[in-house]
Amino acid sequence: MTIFRYTLIRSFGNKTNLLFLTLFPVICIFLPQGEPWPPLPYGYQYFGIVMLFVGIRLATLIIEDRVNGVVKRLAIAPISYLHYLSGHLLAYAVIMVLQCVIVVYGGVAIGRELAQPHLLLLLYVSYSFVALAIALAWVSIFRSKDTAFLVYMSLIFFMSILGGLIIPLEMFPDLLKRLAVLMPTYWLERGLDWLVYGERMADYWIVQGVLWLYTILFVTIGSFKKLY
Amino acid sequence: MTIASMRGVVKRYGSYVALDCIDFDIYEGEIIGLLGPNGAGKTTLIHALTGLTPVDHGTVSLFGQAKQPFSRQNKERLGLVTQDITIFDELTAKQNLLFFAGVYGLKGKEKQERVKEALDFVGLGDKGDKNPAKFSGGMKRRLNIACALTHRPKLLIMDEPTVGIDPQSRNHILEAVKKLRDNGTTILYTSHYMEEVQAIASRVIIMDQGQMIKEGTVEQLIETIQSEEKVRIDVTEPYLVPVNQLEAIAGVKQVAVAGNQISVISAAGSGNLDRILTIVKERTGVVGIQADKPNLEDVFFTLTGKQLRDRGERE
Repeated sequence: MTIFRYTLIRSFGNKTNLLFLTLFPVICIFLPQGEPWPPLPYGYQYFGIVMLFVGIRLATLIIEDRVNGVVKRLAIAPISYLHYLSGHLLAYAVIMVLQCVIVVYGGVAIGRELAQPHLLLLLYVSYSFVALAIALAWVSIFRSKDTAFLVYMSLIFFMSILGGLIIPLEMFPDLLKRLAVLMPTYWLERGLDWLVYGERMADYWIVQGVLWLYTILFVTIGSFKKLY
Repeated sequence: MTIASMRGVVKRYGSYVALDCIDFDIYEGEIIGLLGPNGAGKTTLIHALTGLTPVDHGTVSLFGQAKQPFSRQNKERLGLVTQDITIFDELTAKQNLLFFAGVYGLKGKEKQERVKEALDFVGLGDKGDKNPAKFSGGMKRRLNIACALTHRPKLLIMDEPTVGIDPQSRNHILEAVKKLRDNGTTILYTSHYMEEVQAIASRVIIMDQGQMIKEGTVEQLIETIQSEEKVRIDVTEPYLVPVNQLEAIAGVKQVAVAGNQISVISAAGSGNLDRILTIVKERTGVVGIQADKPNLEDVFFTLTGKQLRDRGERE
């Protein structure tokens, strides 16, 4: 629990992180509804982008530990690498789940039309794990926190556009529509769409399944490379 | 009692041999100084000894266990003070220590007491609630050491713990190291600073190019070159000094030119001083001569032909 507890404290110990972790999700609750797109208010669409930012902001603590030599020190301590990584991921997951709860039930509390809020929360939680897993895989490649963050900005922009979080997918040519299926953001968008227009419950669980597959894939990639 | 040992340890990175057949023991209660220039293999040796780097050949033994030297039980008795300052700037000094104490499995009241003890030990007792981002370099170094002490390691490995700090903090750290030894901690201390090692180490290992080239107490090592004398000559134009001609004199072992000074080591009683001075005076003006008693630095220079650090690297 030590790694988990102090990762939580460290995550909130940085002013920029505080902004990402508290202010941005709250702003999402108050953004207006679009007509006829997106299916839910804009904030609930853009929260998918915010989660990608939050994921990388949190995961850069792992790069800091690697660059500062903390992981080397921990490697000779009586804890395993798995223990270190799981402590970090658990802390990040708790933060992101709390954000999802605030965004969904905060919206319900102020009377936003969220179709099926409980299923929306479940969708956000699964997607937040994907965001974390991608960030973990990403930071395992880089040795500089700033480079990792800056390059990831471009990736977030690319995934958000191509996944249909910023522009409706219907406007894309067929080739891009086919490529969009590879983006986790596409599956979030599809899930959001289902919450408003969907009929078959199985379609919702397919979206959930794909998001979990992404999580497993990226956590595996991110855990493969030892950090020291 | 042997706390740690290496037998025939070899570590290669491709064709580069970082550790070449290393054999040594660390005995309980001693401070062992590990000396060597950059690239000598000190850090690789520390990594091999702590299990951070697997070795290609040979055995590493910790606390009498050669089969599983890096078991959880052994890790609990091992401490590492890294060369880099490995603390968290987002946490207070006390939280940093609580973190590392927690990692080593300390809990509750015992954890709180050990943290206070470690902070007091490094002279940061009144800075526990302060953020290390605002600390001086010396205070950060001391906190870095304290992080390795909360679990009271039996073997503490200190990798250049005094790099880049003020003399006051350095003295504080050296005194702390001696106190740790007096309390029963065995210490492996690496440094670029010869005088530190000479002041605290009960035994010294000199490494160069991945090999252990000499081992012994400071006195034993100095004794090995007592049969030599060292003369320093200050000259006006050092670039005119005929180094080759000086090296060719019978009995001369080393000639080095640094700044305006020539250092010559030759066999004791060889009566070379006159010959050396004659050759030097033929080419350049002599402004001073001094004969030194050999110290650890001379031992190192005699054995490796290198200075441990560049002149002027540290005042």
